[in-house]
Amino acid sequence: MNLSPQDITAIGLSMKIAVCATALSLPFGFATAWLMVFRNFRGKVLLEVLVNLPLTLPPVVIGYFLLLLFGRQGWAGAALRSAGIEFIFTWKAAVVASATVGFPLLVRSIRLGMESIDRQLLQASRSLGASWYDTLATVILPLSFRGMIAGSSLMFARSLGEFGATIIVAGNIPGLTQTIPLAIYDYASSPTGASMALSLCAVSVTLSVVILLLHEVIGKKLEVRRSA
Amino acid sequence: MKLGIDLEKRHGSFSLRIKTSLSGDRIGIFGDSGSGKSTLVHMITGLLTPDRGELRIDGTTLFSSRDRINLTPEQRRIAIVFQQAMLFPHLGVRANLHYGFRRCRPEHRKIRPEAIIEVLNLQNLLDRGVNNLSGGEKQRVALGRAVLANPRLLIMDEPLSALDDSLRYQIIPYLRSVSEEFRIPYLFISHSITEMQLMADDVLLVANGELAGLSTPDQIARNHMAGSPRGYLNLLRLGEPLLRDGLYHYPWGQGNLIVSDGKEQGESLFELSSRDIILFKNHPEAISARNLLECRVAEMFESDGRKGVVLESGGKRLIAEIVRTAAEELGIARDVTIFAAIKASAFRRLG
Amino acid sequence: MIAMKSAKTLLSSIVLALFAFTMTALPAKAAQINISAAASLKDAINEMADKYTATHTGTTFVKNYGASGAIAGQIENGAPADVFISASTEWMDYLKNKNLVDPASRTEFAYNVLVFAGTTTKKVKGMNDLTGLDKIAIGSPKSVPAGEYATEAIKKSGLDRKLSSKLVMAKDVRECLTYAEMGEVDGAFVYRTDALQAKKARILFVVPANLYSRVVYPMALTVSGAKNAEAKSFVSWLKEGEAKSILKKYGFELK
Repeated sequence: MNLSPQDITAIGLSMKIAVCATALSLPFGFATAWLMVFRNFRGKVLLEVLVNLPLTLPPVVIGYFLLLLFGRQGWAGAALRSAGIEFIFTWKAAVVASATVGFPLLVRSIRLGMESIDRQLLQASRSLGASWYDTLATVILPLSFRGMIAGSSLMFARSLGEFGATIIVAGNIPGLTQTIPLAIYDYASSPTGASMALSLCAVSVTLSVVILLLHEVIGKKLEVRRSA
Repeated sequence: MKLGIDLEKRHGSFSLRIKTSLSGDRIGIFGDSGSGKSTLVHMITGLLTPDRGELRIDGTTLFSSRDRINLTPEQRRIAIVFQQAMLFPHLGVRANLHYGFRRCRPEHRKIRPEAIIEVLNLQNLLDRGVNNLSGGEKQRVALGRAVLANPRLLIMDEPLSALDDSLRYQIIPYLRSVSEEFRIPYLFISHSITEMQLMADDVLLVANGELAGLSTPDQIARNHMAGSPRGYLNLLRLGEPLLRDGLYHYPWGQGNLIVSDGKEQGESLFELSSRDIILFKNHPEAISARNLLECRVAEMFESDGRKGVVLESGGKRLIAEIVRTAAEELGIARDVTIFAAIKASAFRRLG
Repeated sequence: MIAMKSAKTLLSSIVLALFAFTMTALPAKAAQINISAAASLKDAINEMADKYTATHTGTTFVKNYGASGAIAGQIENGAPADVFISASTEWMDYLKNKNLVDPASRTEFAYNVLVFAGTTTKKVKGMNDLTGLDKIAIGSPKSVPAGEYATEAIKKSGLDRKLSSKLVMAKDVRECLTYAEMGEVDGAFVYRTDALQAKKARILFVVPANLYSRVVYPMALTVSGAKNAEAKSFVSWLKEGEAKSILKKYGFELK
């Protein structure tokens, strides 16, 4: 196993981007799942389609759309630039790419958790004096934890492997946006880079295994606490 | 409590129209599933919005389509005890109990946790989680939680249906004592006549989305006598027996009732089917049944081809059920003296 | 029964179609030449191939352009190639050491110069001005010679620390140019020949020659190419006047 300093940076960057993407998406994911499970409104089907879209689109297409939106000519990009915020080809773009690609996975998990909440529990809480946002915070949120953790770890793992959208909208910049997949791609383009690529691949697999294990452990802990 | 209901709701092929005014603190709602009683209850609690109408409790308007008033559930202060307890699984017993109490305005906090815990015997459960409690324990906690919210009205929606028989009649005393101790009016919804007899003074009958009538539990029991598998069930509260020769002698009226399945300590609730009472025109000299009562016929009523005979003995009443021809043969009519024989084993102890 | 029969017919027509497809995908007709060349040579070689076909009807070309390192890797893994033109000696030597090229046929095809081109309005006159920029595109040095030359120049100027985290890796020199044209980077290290093709980016400065090794394009027949008479004929043609004038037209140096 040999890892260059550039590789170590790539690993650190991957973790940082994955954490940020997950943290950024959680509140939106929770709100979206809540809307889809507990609320009925016109255009709900459209929201469902929109949320699930990144799952079916090739990541490079998503990257391209993000580029159109946030690039120098894009309308969101122009607004950000006048506010002094540079976006494309920075790690922030990598975070948004990961967040976009992983969002449907997050929402799906949280939805599943929320759907299993007995509606009568919510009726009970309302009748005991809790307003709808009180109920949301004291009943729905705690009972959604399992789904949120499941969704977060899925999203985190997906983010670690994100390539297509990232390379388009964040570029391959060592130290700034070169995550593990981009670093492996770099090595793989060169016939002499095979062994280095292998080391990084091993790291990638290890990270995924660790996350999945953590997810199981935390999930079990939540179960145990509930049946005390 | 005065409850004014004038509500309409249409939902697909189902429609509900109820207009009535109720007074009392122990009101029952009786009807089959699909009759609309759940819809009615949801509209009273504010979980469902009526299409039009008015809903008033003791002078407070909870809903008025005309005046555009529609209080949210948390504003109505109507607490619910569900069929399936519905305790919050992520909170322990103590936190569940306090859920409504903490959200109650200080000026409304008349009932305090200590009192509830005592009345409902919850001391040993306080530090436990809710997921491993027995059915009866869960319902007691659910009842405590609802009462601690200091509601102006308590709605009990088939609270005993999910419990088995022995448990059911253990919980009923708790329901009654809570009502007596804390003076909270309640609506008791059930499809069990016996539960109605024990819990309600007046009963609202609902069928096919309409008000089918305002009645009493006794009247409903009488009407269902012929159709019910065990006839009219007399409910007797008996206590302090003397045990003699393996049989329990309970004081009742001017004399005693002799019961096989009794209990030495405390008060017990017994059920006696109208069909287990045999009537004699003249005093039989000797019979195997241990109970032989001299009664006066206070009243008679019809129920689907059967005759119900209301017997009075020592100030107490029992209802017996006989066929019409038997009534004619024995010449049973009001104020006639008749003898009633009941086997000691006919009394079924409920709790 | 009818369903069975039509299912059988469907199945057999699929099998037949697949068979025909694979048959036609079988290797080269006699007069086909596979060229694998550095990305910077794309326009020049396209024009040369057209010129050659005009006078040598019956010859067809299959062209593959990319980073020289990536291409060398492809050839090593068995990709069909008759002629290989690299943008640095490194990758030609790599294949030579693996006995995948015919050493007797090796010559130097062309030369080039490294420049820095971009659309930025900032003042950029030399290497030291690069530290004032936000983003700079270079070919990934692991496989793109232009990137290796650029890295060499950056190191020799002592700027590698200062420029780290500004460098956007591209997969070949043409992608570098695209980044520069799009304006997503302030500028890119490309060859003069690429910069001359640019529409929006302009040459900001020529990288001083003493900062990097000479850009040499070695050309050779692969071992399989050496057996291809057409390929041999094409390589001879490439050394002659017509090809050389095309190279000159695109800005390549000839010595």
